[in-house]
Amino acid sequence: MGIQFKDVSYGYQSIEGGLFQAIKDINVSIESTGEFITLIGETGSGKSTMVQHMNALITPQTGSVEIFGVKLHKGMKKDVKLNPLRQKVGLVFQFPEYQLFEETVLKDIIFGPKNFGVSEEDAVKRAKEVIKLVGLDERYLDRSPFNLSGGEKKRVSIAGILAMEPDILILDEPTSGLDPKGRDRLLDLFMDIHHKTNKTIIVITHDMNTVYNYASRVLVLNKGSLVYDGLPNELFSDENILNWNLDLPDLLSLQKHLEKTYKKKLSKTPISTEDLLRLVKEELL
Amino acid sequence: MKNVVIGQYVPGQSFLYRMDARSKLLALIILMATAFIVQNFYHMLGMVILVGFILVVGGLSITRIVRGLRPVLILLLFTFTFQMLFVNTGDLLYTTDLTLSLYNLPIMLAIIAFWMFTKKYVKFRFLYLLLTIFGILALLASFAPGDIISSSRVQIYTDGVLGAFFIMMRLIIIVTLSTILTLSTKPTDLNLGLERLLKPLSIIKINAEEIAMIISIALRYIPTLLDEANKIMLAQASRGVDFKEGKFRDKIMQIISLLVPMFIISFKRSDELANAMEARNFVPGRPRTRLHILKWNYVDTLVIVFVTIVLAFSIVLRVVF
Repeated sequence: MGIQFKDVSYGYQSIEGGLFQAIKDINVSIESTGEFITLIGETGSGKSTMVQHMNALITPQTGSVEIFGVKLHKGMKKDVKLNPLRQKVGLVFQFPEYQLFEETVLKDIIFGPKNFGVSEEDAVKRAKEVIKLVGLDERYLDRSPFNLSGGEKKRVSIAGILAMEPDILILDEPTSGLDPKGRDRLLDLFMDIHHKTNKTIIVITHDMNTVYNYASRVLVLNKGSLVYDGLPNELFSDENILNWNLDLPDLLSLQKHLEKTYKKKLSKTPISTEDLLRLVKEELL
Repeated sequence: MKNVVIGQYVPGQSFLYRMDARSKLLALIILMATAFIVQNFYHMLGMVILVGFILVVGGLSITRIVRGLRPVLILLLFTFTFQMLFVNTGDLLYTTDLTLSLYNLPIMLAIIAFWMFTKKYVKFRFLYLLLTIFGILALLASFAPGDIISSSRVQIYTDGVLGAFFIMMRLIIIVTLSTILTLSTKPTDLNLGLERLLKPLSIIKINAEEIAMIISIALRYIPTLLDEANKIMLAQASRGVDFKEGKFRDKIMQIISLLVPMFIISFKRSDELANAMEARNFVPGRPRTRLHILKWNYVDTLVIVFVTIVLAFSIVLRVVF
């Protein structure tokens, strides 16, 4: 179960009348439990198009996407209900401004669950839980979503999706525009949700530290093709960095700097700060 | 939404494209006025030929012009029918009784039911509707045995037919001419031309430059707003808003969930735009230099002289005949 992509391609009409191929022949399988996936790639590499497929917002032009047993492809029957899939796969968009519209935070959070047939009472109960989960408190529920700061808006928009109780949670650049502390708190929050519920979480990001420190699996898109699907600590080879214009995570650039200064290679790549410290003590000093 | 085109400008090479936006606007106004002054059947025919001539020489595709006419089709049919039915001066051309009787009423209902069920399968739906209406009218006029439920007399006079012809021709000419203008002129050029033509209005304290600025900003932001609307729709769809289905009450909620973010984003955007303009030293009402400058060529003079002669000629003809 979960999400399966089979030879999925999707293109947009460009102004000149040509076709801009956003994603090409994507094959990937995502489990509904136990994965923390980061999706990276340059601007315009097709990340957003790919996650919109996962949410059944668009259907593939060629190939097929299977979401929790429901197969989506071109020319499929019109009576396939897409709405239940959107409850199972929650997608948080990059800009909270696109989603917030109600008078109070509470009403905005219960908007999603109510659309999926949850009673008002239960939805309010869920809202009170998720608002704490995203690191805000119940006082926020009565405030207007438009008077919040950028970070708070982001949290509220995430709470709105969490209240739908999706099986898979997808976040499109959740940490963009946040300060480092806010970013870390939000990522810890996702990690916490992931550990508590074992739900699969997919994060689109440009931040290599997120990739390296949090992800259990990383997908790299380059010009619409899926070029890497595997462990984060195997991703950052010199060749890959050059080919896909990747940044180094802080930990690895520190390692590189130390190796250059001491003119000596470490025996393995560190997975955490403590790991690096231990390796440096043992091998360099 | 990457394929949004504002206006309907189609690139081309003909003299229409070499003309200045100002002269095109002026010529349009003069020709429109001429279309209203002309009141003789043959003169109107001449006018139609002139417009056709502009079309051919201008190298514009006829299909695009027809597409531009489509929205006014209903209006044309309405005015045509009303003119035909309600003008009763001149000679009587044709008269008939439309009678609704006990026997042809079920036949009429059957035709309507047949139309309702088959309209899905017909390609030219509008034509099909017209044919059906005409069929019903023919039925009522010719076949009415049994008890009469109601009856009315239809009379068509020569003035009605002529009036209908003139109104149709004028509308077609006006729409065709304005389509020619928008097809051959970029929205930005059109805006600039409009600004220059409205400049004399500054005497009565109307600032043409500001109006033009408002128009050009509005034009610029149409694709941006469409793009944004699309993104908001996706964001709300992922929260279970089904924009395709739902009852009336749901529909209202769906529209609100789309409009509120639209408004908020637009206000924010306009604030930012105002800051960006001020940061580049834009002061409303102060003279500015231009990146695009309109150039008046000999073609423009030629065209303006020509259309003025057409106008003068039509006035003379109307006075003489």
